[in-house]
Amino acid sequence: MANDLNDQDSSYEFWRSGKVTRRRLVGWGAGVLGATILAPAPWRAAFGQAKPYKIGTIQPLSGPGAVGGKTALIGVQMAADRINKSGGINGRPVELVVADDESKPDVGRRKAQKLVDDDKIDVQVGGFLSNICLACMPVWEEARIVNIISVCLDTTLTTSKCNRYSFRPSDYAPAQAVAFAPYLVNQMGKKWHIVFADYAWGQSTRDAYVAQIRKAGGEVVGATGIPLGTADMTPFLSKISGNFDGLLGVFATDGVTVGNQVYDLGLTRKYKWAGDGAIAESTNLPALGNKIEGFVGINRYLPVLEGPLDTPAHRKFLEEASVRLKKIDPTGPLPDRYVQSNYESMNALKLGMEKSGFRGREDTMKLIEALEGLEMKEGDDFPQGDKVLRKEDHQAFVREFIFEIRGGRHRIVETVAKEKTLFPPACKFPAA
Amino acid sequence: MSAILEIFAAIPYDQVLIQTVNGIVTGMILALVASGLTLIFGIMDVVNFAHGELFMLGAYIGVVVLATTGSFWLALLIATLIVALLGAALQIVTLRPLLGRDPLTTILATFGVSLVLQNYALWQFGPVARKIQEPITGSFQLLYLEYPWYRLLIAALSAAIIGALWLFLKFGTWGIWIRAATQDRVMAQAMGIPVPWVHTGVFAIGAGMAAASGVLFGPLVGVTHAMGLDWVLKAFIVVVVGGMGNLGGSIAAAVFISLLEAYASIWVSPAQAVIVSFVVLILTLLIRPTGLFVPTPK
Repeated sequence: MANDLNDQDSSYEFWRSGKVTRRRLVGWGAGVLGATILAPAPWRAAFGQAKPYKIGTIQPLSGPGAVGGKTALIGVQMAADRINKSGGINGRPVELVVADDESKPDVGRRKAQKLVDDDKIDVQVGGFLSNICLACMPVWEEARIVNIISVCLDTTLTTSKCNRYSFRPSDYAPAQAVAFAPYLVNQMGKKWHIVFADYAWGQSTRDAYVAQIRKAGGEVVGATGIPLGTADMTPFLSKISGNFDGLLGVFATDGVTVGNQVYDLGLTRKYKWAGDGAIAESTNLPALGNKIEGFVGINRYLPVLEGPLDTPAHRKFLEEASVRLKKIDPTGPLPDRYVQSNYESMNALKLGMEKSGFRGREDTMKLIEALEGLEMKEGDDFPQGDKVLRKEDHQAFVREFIFEIRGGRHRIVETVAKEKTLFPPACKFPAA
Repeated sequence: MSAILEIFAAIPYDQVLIQTVNGIVTGMILALVASGLTLIFGIMDVVNFAHGELFMLGAYIGVVVLATTGSFWLALLIATLIVALLGAALQIVTLRPLLGRDPLTTILATFGVSLVLQNYALWQFGPVARKIQEPITGSFQLLYLEYPWYRLLIAALSAAIIGALWLFLKFGTWGIWIRAATQDRVMAQAMGIPVPWVHTGVFAIGAGMAAASGVLFGPLVGVTHAMGLDWVLKAFIVVVVGGMGNLGGSIAAAVFISLLEAYASIWVSPAQAVIVSFVVLILTLLIRPTGLFVPTPK
């Protein structure tokens, strides 16, 4: 009580003694503000060192894509927190500016423009649905901002629609097809029917597999496209019949739906069932139950500690990501490839920014030069493995894992080295 | 004559049979979703944009009850009751105060509710899809396909629920009040029918039916926050084609549109077959805006 009275007295002294008046306080405030604005350039530069890098990240945090977008965001946040804990990049902390594209290309483009104009971001790391990545590409190019594509796998992003500002430090459809097609043809069957998500990524992946299966000595006898977000796929799947060996699925956010319905209609008993690893992503397994048993897939990342993934760096990543995922989902899922590639994309950017001494947008060209041909070594920053960002098309090549679902878990069947996933560059950068 | 025979010979009868079964099953699920929607519109003039989220919420509650009790049927029942109660509360809190205002306000209100419910589900249950185990497994041979018994069960249960609703509307006291309020709200109130509570009851029934369809459909897709979107878009088409507020019309329209789409998908991609629904919708709006299955007033 005595203390309170003392406090009251000192407070009274402070405000009523005549030394500090409200008018004087406002005056001092204005003086400090003015001094900050008019401070000489060297001082501003010194303060500027502590200014955080603003890194935008566009993810689908609502709408159908949120199923993967939420885990993707965990990856970026995990990397940003780790960077900040270890002293930031070039001595400056990282500030994430998160934007929700609502799983819609038009919204994505609008949010990208807002990140550029209002939030004044320095670089962008993100992008989940390929149609949204495609819609946002011109925004980054026009604003001359480096765009690190963390998930979108559509082929054209680093081929026909490539630009100097966009980089993809993870894999893409042709590399997966190059890695998987020989296994499909030699181990599972010659004739394939492809069932795919009928949008940018699914279509380009279909084309890649048609080419690579043919190259491996097999044949694609048919393809069925199913629009994104279709709840009842039976009208599509019930048309699939004929004489072929295997059904190859290319789905991401609709993985649970196709996995359930392909099984329900007996197609997995009639044909071999294989496809993109996104169908059997760790976050999809609980909803697929035993219907996904025997599925053979390819993925750049698996949440298992076996074979080449049994490393201390991967164990650390797996444990920390699992703790974070538990906070957003009470079932406590294991990390998926979206967590991994967002985490590693952010770390790739960090390497590039350090190498180029990046200060802000004015150094974009320096950053581009640093990222071109960037080598990433397996370790805490890159638990998935080594990778190189190819200069000619800004596309990375990573090792791929062919797996089978057995006992409700991923089992690595074969590891394909990154050198065996190479696909020739097909990008001609537009003149700056 | 030979040309006609050639046309008949070219029809893939195996596909026709499979797509007929598909069309009826899909039509019955759609009818269950649309019947709640049309009931709410018919009585209250409210276009319920939150219907898909009530469908999704029903499925999530089904997941929780199923995990607790292990009984699919209990999950179906409890999810229906809880979402019906939630529907009643939503009506009292958000829609009753808007009674008599511009219909646009109710559209905005239900749209707002849909966003809240969707994001709540994402926050509460997380992004990982959940599983509802179907009560019966197994399949029968339908030509070249193994057709799951469960899909037929969904169609039968949808028919049973809609049938029960029809009996309730025809013979129950509340059913009679609901029909009276549909025909003439003011006169019904003048005759002593508690119209505001009838509205609440109708919204609860509509919400409960959405929840029941969510639980029934859950085993086929996995339960996520966005699972209702695709169905509700189709249900809106069905409600317009069947005649806004006309229960029988909506059921007929659901089966009619699903069959049309199913048959069209024999010759074109099912993605293109969806166009058929929109063509029917446009034709209905142009030629018979009151709905295809509404009796012509005498």
